[in-house]
Amino acid sequence: MDSGTLIIIIVAIVLLIAIFYITVSNSLKRLSIKVDEALSGIDVALTKRYDVLTKMIDVVKGYVKHEKETLFEVIQLRSKMTLKEKSEANAAMDENFKKLNFLVENYPELKASENYKTLQNSISDVEEHLQAARRLYNSNVSLYNQKIEVFPSNIVAKAMHYTKKDFFEAEESKRKDVKIDL
Amino acid sequence: MTKEELELLKSKIRKKYIIGTIIATIIGIVLMILTLNPALLIIIIVMSVIVLSLITSGDVEKYKTEFKNIYVLNALSKIFDNLDYKPNRGINASLIRNTKMMNMGDRFSSNDFLSGKYKNINVVQADVHIEERHTTTDSNGNTQTTWVTIFMGKWMIFDFNKSFKANLQVRQKSFSNATLNNWFSDDKYTKVLMEDQEFNKRFKVYAQNEHDAFYVLTPSLMERIKKICDNISGSLLFCFINNKLHVGLANNCDSFEPSIFKKTNEEEIMNSILHDIKIITDFIDELNLDNTLFRREVQ
Repeated sequence: MDSGTLIIIIVAIVLLIAIFYITVSNSLKRLSIKVDEALSGIDVALTKRYDVLTKMIDVVKGYVKHEKETLFEVIQLRSKMTLKEKSEANAAMDENFKKLNFLVENYPELKASENYKTLQNSISDVEEHLQAARRLYNSNVSLYNQKIEVFPSNIVAKAMHYTKKDFFEAEESKRKDVKIDL
Repeated sequence: MTKEELELLKSKIRKKYIIGTIIATIIGIVLMILTLNPALLIIIIVMSVIVLSLITSGDVEKYKTEFKNIYVLNALSKIFDNLDYKPNRGINASLIRNTKMMNMGDRFSSNDFLSGKYKNINVVQADVHIEERHTTTDSNGNTQTTWVTIFMGKWMIFDFNKSFKANLQVRQKSFSNATLNNWFSDDKYTKVLMEDQEFNKRFKVYAQNEHDAFYVLTPSLMERIKKICDNISGSLLFCFINNKLHVGLANNCDSFEPSIFKKTNEEEIMNSILHDIKIITDFIDELNLDNTLFRREVQ
């Protein structure tokens, strides 16, 4: 083999490695962006859920003034919350919603009022959007995690310091609490 | 027309066919003996069938229309509210064209238009036949045009009890000739992979917005779509557009069609009609389109 052929082979190998590296790194970047976008979808859905739940609590509080104060958990949504904090906020909302449903059971008139019904419809729609956002996020995280774990793309992922991302989990018991039965 | 008159009309058509076929066979046999050419018998019989079809076409059309007005309308009116059934009218092609999700070919025909409410859900459906013109030119420069069916089956439109902003297409992989207007549209469709691997194996999902795809296609709806596909013969296309669900069922069938040559058996007729109706109502029953909980289901 002459030196010319050897150089061509080496250049071809280097070129192939470069193309592979660029392709995988672009794919990882795209997936990472999709995960971030899906996470912002969760933020939007959580904020909507928080808003509707707050309105519902206000309506119920206004209706049951004479009752002993019902202790709803204080929830604060901040920007740049971690995924764990978001999950905790979501769980707290589940807890408040559970309390709210329990309380409303004692007030059939409130339950039957148009205002409350509208809010119930809104919260169920918001719940569905949150579930959709959660599933989309987890689906993207799953694809991303597979990519950074599976050979040979894991080599590029390691070089680019990509690490596994966490799923947005909803506890099974909490999910059951969220279900509304009209 | 009464059932008795309908039966008389059917007998008249059958008589024409029987007499015509006997005459053609006799002529064919005589010619075959005279010319010693057996092919003549086949030619004469084929020609007689064509001629008889032309002669009886008016009566056959009348029979089919009256059959549908008596039997099909009666069965449909027991199942659908606010029923409007027109056997000889079809769905407007623009309703399908405007989805921009179906190849509309070069020739469109439709019949058995039905509009009504089932379980308080608005339903519009019709049998649809879409064909594409294929022109071939031989070495002598002669062109030949043939019509190739690209869709034959039902097109159904249902109310979908969930509001969504972006359009979504769910296509069974065996369904051919579905399209997406991706080149000139502002809202481009992207292929969406759902979390259900089996669903991804059997269906292709395209959406203008991934979030809406996950919002519309809940895990339970995906299960129901799989189930309905298991239980139906033909390929399915689901188009979720403007809070409506369009379903294209390519099953190469023309529903509610009576047979001239079969002996009239009312029970059999009703069973066949109810089977055709069930294909429509199954989408509402199986996909739970009427269930208000469908809006609120939580995974």
